[in-house]
Amino acid sequence: MSGSTAETVTPGATDTAHAPLPTAAGEKNRHNAGESVPPQSAQRGPAVDCTADSAGGLTFDLRLSAAEAQGGDVGLLLRRRPGPSAETEEVRLPLTPVQEAEPGTLRAALPSTVRLTEGRWNVFLVLAGRPPRRLAPGVNDLRSLVDRVPHESRSWMGVRIPYATKHGNLSVRAWMRWPHAEAGALRVHDGGLRLSGRLYGAEVSPRARLEAWPRRGEQEPVVVEAAAEGPDQREFTAELPYPPLTGCRLWDLWLRPEKDAEAVRVARILDDVPDKKRIFTYPEHAVEPRTGPEAATEPPYATARPYYTLNNDLAVRVDRTE
Amino acid sequence: MHISFLLHNGYAIGGTVRTTYNLARSLAEHHDVEVVSVFRTRDRPVFDPGPGVKLRHLVDTRGVRSAEALGTEHTLPARVFPEADGKYPMYSALTDRLIGDHLAGIEADVVIGTRPGLNTHIARQTRRGPVRLGQEHLTLATHSRRLKLVLRSVYPRLDALTTVTEADAADYRRLLRLPGVRIDAVPNSVPDPGVTPADGNSKWVVAAGRLAPAKRYDLLIRAFAKVVAERPDWRLRIYGAGQERPGLRALIDELGLYNHVFLMGPIHPIEPEWAKGSIAAVTSSLESFGMTIVEAMRCGLPVVATDCPHGPAEIVRPGVDGRLVPMGDEDAVAGALLGLINDDELRHRMGRAALADSARFDPAHIGARYESLLRDLVGKGSRGLHRTRASLLSGAYAVKDALTGAGPETFQGGRTA
Repeated sequence: MSGSTAETVTPGATDTAHAPLPTAAGEKNRHNAGESVPPQSAQRGPAVDCTADSAGGLTFDLRLSAAEAQGGDVGLLLRRRPGPSAETEEVRLPLTPVQEAEPGTLRAALPSTVRLTEGRWNVFLVLAGRPPRRLAPGVNDLRSLVDRVPHESRSWMGVRIPYATKHGNLSVRAWMRWPHAEAGALRVHDGGLRLSGRLYGAEVSPRARLEAWPRRGEQEPVVVEAAAEGPDQREFTAELPYPPLTGCRLWDLWLRPEKDAEAVRVARILDDVPDKKRIFTYPEHAVEPRTGPEAATEPPYATARPYYTLNNDLAVRVDRTE
Repeated sequence: MHISFLLHNGYAIGGTVRTTYNLARSLAEHHDVEVVSVFRTRDRPVFDPGPGVKLRHLVDTRGVRSAEALGTEHTLPARVFPEADGKYPMYSALTDRLIGDHLAGIEADVVIGTRPGLNTHIARQTRRGPVRLGQEHLTLATHSRRLKLVLRSVYPRLDALTTVTEADAADYRRLLRLPGVRIDAVPNSVPDPGVTPADGNSKWVVAAGRLAPAKRYDLLIRAFAKVVAERPDWRLRIYGAGQERPGLRALIDELGLYNHVFLMGPIHPIEPEWAKGSIAAVTSSLESFGMTIVEAMRCGLPVVATDCPHGPAEIVRPGVDGRLVPMGDEDAVAGALLGLINDDELRHRMGRAALADSARFDPAHIGARYESLLRDLVGKGSRGLHRTRASLLSGAYAVKDALTGAGPETFQGGRTA
């Protein structure tokens, strides 16, 4: 009925009769100047500022009202999102007043020595007598994680990167690995890729190999030499050819530092970027190196490109083009 | 003083919203400040208006699917809000009436508009008494001819107009000729970022902004290829989202820079990301102010910026806290970056200077400049005479434009159904 009213509007105004309303959703599509939209939830607790140290420790700072802060038993709860086995774990951290800060400022510390199982950990605020509440991310100062060089003194290495979930909550991405093979520069070309990296917690022996294992199926792994480099035998480079990978679509890359040693997953986790998949991307290339006159005209029968999985592990994807 | 801002949507994300709140928050320390948002799209504002700032709205569009749902009046076109303002499709007879009622009964000493369409409302509908101040957050040069004509006809009825750069203020004085209207340049404010400044030791160049053509990230990436050729230990992070992303991705791959240049996506807040870098790069072909330059400087980064209209030259002191290079010149960008990359001492010194120099953009300073401007205006009290002259002038411009063929149809006020 209001539609018929709209039709009586003067010409030139008809396109505005169904005027785009300003909406929060529309705004997201239009443009945003380098900023993601923090979604809102009335149930969420305050914003938490996270600071990372270069050893893998994290501190969480937040402010509560005087009444909440003095409620006694105040803490942070880290709960790992259940994996396929539905198992979960919890770590509780006490929140204590920060002396030099404004009243109500509380801090919790997750020392580098506390082990967090690999996975995604949701962060909750726990106040006595109230159900745990998710927290909003505040200012994350992760500069000490950029280009991180881990200490080699321990028998394990923890990586924890706080991040904002797509729902605007604070979570912590955790890895626990040792030895660890950190992927560095990748060079891709028609026919294969060249990977450089560094192994932590073990030496790269002259018999070290890079192994590509099919994600699914019975196919044998593709194994190539991994050459040790650098003065301390920790750097490695390997040339992985694409043609042997055509039998399967997805291949996971492992480094076997010594003939009978356990293989080490190749990953990229020593920085401040929790999700590599969309940021560290590489061009696709023909599986077969193409030479001769047909190179320019014939499309390749398959292409391949390295990529990082949702866990920041390095993999190769092969796509047939027909 | 009682100060009332009129804002398009105080619940949205955007530079104008953020800047308005920075100013409102600072003025609210000594004055009674309200922000009237024409639209409300969220339960809570994304940016915090600040303690003591009253935020209210005129039209609530939360959960509203169609214009009809707000009543027939919202399906009728706006007549006061000018068609030449880009937000025109969202405005209507309903907003005309609600904004008009608000301005006719306003109790404030000063009313401040934050975009051309709202400045038009303020010029035409504010009751006699309050000081009328229009803010220009974009630039005259980027307005359409149609919008310029509207502004020339209605802005004489303002008491003052502020631009964010001296260059834009000069354009207004020269091209619009608004006798009796005070035109001042007051830059945007950028608060203390609340993060420890960068130490200048990381080997990262950082850029941030919408991935739009005017930002010329393609130029930055090409320039960075030359940086990498000489200093492969340095890398570049570009933060932001936008339509250029696929093209920039392809360029990075084509140049083989995928180990050195990273499109990081949008992030909020940006300040901790600046602090991870040692040099900021801004290679735009056009800026209305250059907010990211100030943001980076406030985090202690020297800035390599193109000398584009309108902002960078008014922010960067070349050779002291950054470098200005000619527009569109990738060799110049690469050379300026390498100059800072290859000289640690220079980079550290310029970073410290950037931190010190950018303190002039602190909301306390910018708020004080506004406060002094507003006091002058409120103290003047000769506005009745100025406005009578202004209405005559508007009429004269309309006649002149009609004679020169600009035509009354280009004026929103001349539109008749």
